[in-house]
Amino acid sequence: MFTTEQAVLDTGPITYRKGGTGRPLLLVHGTSGPNHTPVTDQLAQRHTVYQPIMPGWDGTPQHAAVKRVPNLADVYAAFIRTVIGGPCDVIGNSFGGWVAAWLAARHPDLVEQLVLECPAGMRDPGTGGLPTDPVELRRQTYARPERAPAPSRTQEAYWINRNLRDKIGAGSSLDEALLRELPKITARTLIVFGTKDEISPSDKAGPRLKTGIKRSHLTFVYDAAHALEFDQPERVGRLVTAFLERGEGFLVRSAQVV
Amino acid sequence: MKFSYFHLMPWTDLKEAPTEWPAGNSGFVPERGKEMYDAYIDSMVFAEECGFDWVGCNEHHFSPYGLMANCNLIGGALTQRTSKIKLAMLGNLIPLLNPIRVAEEYAMLDVMSGGRLIAGMIRGVPHEYIAYNVNADESRARLREAVALILKAWTEPEPFGWEGEFFEYPSVSIWPRPMQRPHPPLLMSASNEESAEFAGEHKAICGLTLIADLDLARRSIETYTKAARAAGFEPPPDYILCGYATCIADTDEEARHNLEEGERYFHKVLMASLRDAQRLVITKSRYFGDQETGDRFVNRLVKLKERNLDDMIEAGSVFCGSPESVVKQIKRVHSALGNGVFNLNFKIGNIPDSVVRRGMELFRDKVLPQVYAL
Repeated sequence: MFTTEQAVLDTGPITYRKGGTGRPLLLVHGTSGPNHTPVTDQLAQRHTVYQPIMPGWDGTPQHAAVKRVPNLADVYAAFIRTVIGGPCDVIGNSFGGWVAAWLAARHPDLVEQLVLECPAGMRDPGTGGLPTDPVELRRQTYARPERAPAPSRTQEAYWINRNLRDKIGAGSSLDEALLRELPKITARTLIVFGTKDEISPSDKAGPRLKTGIKRSHLTFVYDAAHALEFDQPERVGRLVTAFLERGEGFLVRSAQVV
Repeated sequence: MKFSYFHLMPWTDLKEAPTEWPAGNSGFVPERGKEMYDAYIDSMVFAEECGFDWVGCNEHHFSPYGLMANCNLIGGALTQRTSKIKLAMLGNLIPLLNPIRVAEEYAMLDVMSGGRLIAGMIRGVPHEYIAYNVNADESRARLREAVALILKAWTEPEPFGWEGEFFEYPSVSIWPRPMQRPHPPLLMSASNEESAEFAGEHKAICGLTLIADLDLARRSIETYTKAARAAGFEPPPDYILCGYATCIADTDEEARHNLEEGERYFHKVLMASLRDAQRLVITKSRYFGDQETGDRFVNRLVKLKERNLDDMIEAGSVFCGSPESVVKQIKRVHSALGNGVFNLNFKIGNIPDSVVRRGMELFRDKVLPQVYAL
């Protein structure tokens, strides 16, 4: 059961969803805004899940201090300090993966374990990105369209969110500054890509993140496109929960959690 | 035109046909097995001297039909005794195997051979699914995922994990990586429409064997080409391989006699126990996506078995005769199918190795000069 709550940070007010019980877990959503996926429910069985809405998304107030992605990462850092009250695990999805990587690089003391799902900001210019044509966008988002959720916001609301993302992301496909900052990430990190992801193609992004982040693991989810939590919820849920529960022990197949 | 010398490595000493699947192995004599392996590998090495472009072998289980439970072992031997011929593993039966192991072994073969591997990604004939106790219903899906995983293992520069439907690996980083970049050419079967589409989609060399008639083969090639084009790939002629039982002798009469004897042993002895197992898998599983494809597979085997040699030559199913006759047959099939590779199997059933060798010499001296420029 998730509830919607409010908090006030130094930069402005923030709305967030909260649910589940257990170790705190912060979800950083993608361009379209917060989504509730089947994986969210799995995570909420083991974690207290916090899902802030990025300032300005879904009609929430924008924060004047948020100009670029690192500023947005700082808002999440303030959220961790103010609302969660201490370091936590973080999962960032797509654009949220870009933000989460900055968060872990700028505030390594606040991120215990990091999961980057199909993260943006690391692809070569001219490759990937979100198509504008809605049919093509849907085709590239879902490898298994029959598992796609019903739209949770109007097209108009989607485009407001997306335009904000474009403004903050400054149209960058490859964030060279983040690339330089990746070695500052100390959290053990799981990097996840769908094998059919055309929006965040893994061919260059995967190796960049894997080599840049010292204690990282790169995993491909077969038969998943960009919306991998909808395309393959069981595989993603199994993988992410094992990683969050067992740390590097997730590499070892075992009947028992030791 | 390229030519591949293919070997099944049959066990040739059976006096009676096995009556059940799997064939009991009490009749296997290891000392004779050693002699056969030696002779067969010598023959495959000789193929390089005879001007063949590829040498091919494949995987079968639990049967005297073929003594290569793992053709990569034969491939490993060939890397040390050949220098330029391509090594075509036709192939590993991917859905039955650990795909990471396949990626590793194929990479070893590619490096050991100096980049000469052609990597067969084969689903396998139905009865192999009984041998390795793998769900035949899943054969196509397992093949699809395993191929994706193998390609990733060959091309991904960083260690990676894999979360799939059939395969889960937390961390993969194979040593060695293949020599050919981005990876060795793939070869897949195109013996039915579904397979042909799959091969085209993967930009693989398509392989047609057991050609019952040229029209059917042409349709499969068309399907393959269409799928390849849809994937952004225009397959060159040497991406279409057609497999042929081949017997070349000094005269037509001699060749016909040799092939008829070999075919008799092949169908009555080597294939005897396989048919029941194949029927069982085809009727009791969804190995084939639809009934029609399964029926076509069975009918094709029956058709091939029942026809006499004249019918088979006429249908474009075998090459048999003097060098002059075989040249004509090759030209005719090439003209009909437009393929760029013929995969020739000279060791049909229990045809003596001396006859095979004579056929290879005739191929080298009298056939190849007439057809290599096709």
